[in-house]
Amino acid sequence: MPVDTFEKVYLPNIERGETEWLEEYRKQGGYEATRMALEMAPEKIVEVVKDSGLRGRGGAGFPAGMKWSFLPKGVYPRYLTVNADESEPGTCKDRPLMEQRPHTLIDGIICTCLAIESELAFIYIRGEYYNSADIMQKAVDEAYEAGLLGDDVLGSGRKVHVVVHSGAGAYICGEETALLTSLEGYRGYPKLKPPFPAVSGLYGKPTIINNVETIVSVPFILTKGAEWFKSFTHERSTGLRLYSVSGHVNKPGVYELPMTVTLREMIYDYCGGIRNGHDLKFVIPGGSSVPWLLPDQLDTVMSMEGVQAAGSFLGSAAVMVLDHTVCPVWAVTNLGAFYRHESCGQCTPCREGAAWMHKILLRLENGQGTMEDLDTLASIAGDGTPNTGMISGRSICALGDAAAWPVGSALKLFREEFEEHVKLGHCPYKNKRYWMADGKFVNETFEHHPAWGH
Amino acid sequence: MPSERLRTLPILGDRIGEIEQICAKYPERRSAILPVLWIAQKQEGWISEDAMKEVAEVVGVTAAEVYEVVSFYTMFHQHPVGRHHIALCKTLSCAVCGAHEVSAYIREKYGFDAGKSISRDGRFSIEEVECIGACTEAPAMLVGEKLHGDLTPKSIDDVLGKLD
Ligand SMILES: Cc1cc2nc3c(=O)[nH]c(=O)nc-3n(C[C@H](O)[C@H](O)[C@H](O)COP(=O)(O)O)c2cc1C
Ligand code: SF4
Ligand code: FES
Repeated sequence: MPVDTFEKVYLPNIERGETEWLEEYRKQGGYEATRMALEMAPEKIVEVVKDSGLRGRGGAGFPAGMKWSFLPKGVYPRYLTVNADESEPGTCKDRPLMEQRPHTLIDGIICTCLAIESELAFIYIRGEYYNSADIMQKAVDEAYEAGLLGDDVLGSGRKVHVVVHSGAGAYICGEETALLTSLEGYRGYPKLKPPFPAVSGLYGKPTIINNVETIVSVPFILTKGAEWFKSFTHERSTGLRLYSVSGHVNKPGVYELPMTVTLREMIYDYCGGIRNGHDLKFVIPGGSSVPWLLPDQLDTVMSMEGVQAAGSFLGSAAVMVLDHTVCPVWAVTNLGAFYRHESCGQCTPCREGAAWMHKILLRLENGQGTMEDLDTLASIAGDGTPNTGMISGRSICALGDAAAWPVGSALKLFREEFEEHVKLGHCPYKNKRYWMADGKFVNETFEHHPAWGH
Repeated sequence: MPSERLRTLPILGDRIGEIEQICAKYPERRSAILPVLWIAQKQEGWISEDAMKEVAEVVGVTAAEVYEVVSFYTMFHQHPVGRHHIALCKTLSCAVCGAHEVSAYIREKYGFDAGKSISRDGRFSIEEVECIGACTEAPAMLVGEKLHGDLTPKSIDDVLGKLD
């Protein structure tokens, strides 16, 4: 077990899983950041956040302070929207933040609203998170009652209102422009950018969208200082990060770590290694959309730059770990089904491409594929890097890239296994079966379930 | 002019106070469409055509626009479901931790005919869905509004067995 030499701030008591309600948050010095922000000029708050180097935790890693400073001068009202859609497969860190630290999020929302001069913020929570929405609503009610939210925040004369809004099941609503169209009461279709939401967003007004973890970082930056935040730095990645580690590690979970951690330390020191002493097969380091990493890349530093240098993206910092029982063709077929289902259907390359790739993958995994299928697949998906193949770079939003990259990457890394499916006429992993032991579901490998479409 | 039936709002009528409060939170009333649909789904367990007409009436859009929205979001049921709806995750992290087995187990033990999504006694409905944000507790499912992770045959029976 590694000895942590840093103080955890986001989820120090994650195992206990308790909600920190207002009374407790105040005992811990809560809303100090709001008090500080009320004394600061808006530009000063933006400056501190810029200085901290805070980059978005939702996926793209855009510098938060810089985004805030893109708001057109003198145009009001402005809106803040907190992206709590968290639907990138593998990602589950915003849920514990909302369920355990709801007031830290509200503290962050007030500070951000003061910084960007917004009087109304929305928290767009994915529909499946019933409990998070309940807790956030209760915490918002507490904050109104305590005079922290409303028309006169802590007697300052400043207004901040918060609306908790639930989605209803659509991955695409995590994409910022889709989230806004959904919040306006339409189908969650993404829009072409520019204009960016900071210029023309919700109801055509300037709108800032940030991920839950990004906004939760703001109170820590204000109270502990930009220097504290920068004390955890790898290249241009600053601060602590919440990694969701899932799959075949002995101790899956949400881990709060500096971005200097390596993949090896994460898997073997923090997560207890691979289950049953199995071998590592591959890692998806940043949510299901990103290219895969191989066991010889365990020394990758899990910062935005580190993972990019290894040929992938840190994305939402969701690390999926797969052991040697996992057929890579099967795995990418599972993801292919996801993207086919979640494509909103607006643009042809994404809609047709995602369905076409999934059909070919199903055929290959079922042993009915041909060598030509492999070439066709590669021509659609590209090689797992941006702007290759028929989809990436040719669609309205980044879901197109997200659908193509894992396929291109799997083909490049596991070409032999794809070919083996063709030669054998079946999945080489299919001779083993799932089994139950010790009252738990254990899977040595995968079987096809017709009902699942793969 | 709304019809007589719509004026009395048989599905949403008793929640109209709450609905007005929700609508008032948004700068534009149309934004209340999802929250009001959620209320409609709570009332009947699913969203019927009549419910869509009522939602259209209270939000101030056409029924066709409400249908357009309902059909986009996977969590809105356009057909009746079981008394308890199970949304079982089938995406990668859950799939490699036994989600297929969970599906087979529930379908067999709780009386689902092959290819059917509602159990023979109407007690449960099941839907294999994409990632529900509980990947570190795989395999995971939602039963109604409650999340259950780290599923085992015993924990499934503990949860489902208690429901009427
Ligand atoms: C298909 C797609 C899905 C996305 N899903 C999410 C999501 O669930 N949560 C999130 O915070 N950002 C998501 N994003 C990124 C958002 O578009 C946006 O960049 C982010 O919310 C900005 O916040 P940040 O700068 O604080 O990261 C998604 C992007 C795409 C293209
Ligand atoms: S890329 Fe896909 S998800 Fe994005 S707008 Fe086009 S069709 Fe919709
Ligand atoms: S993959 Fe099952 S909850 Fe995320």
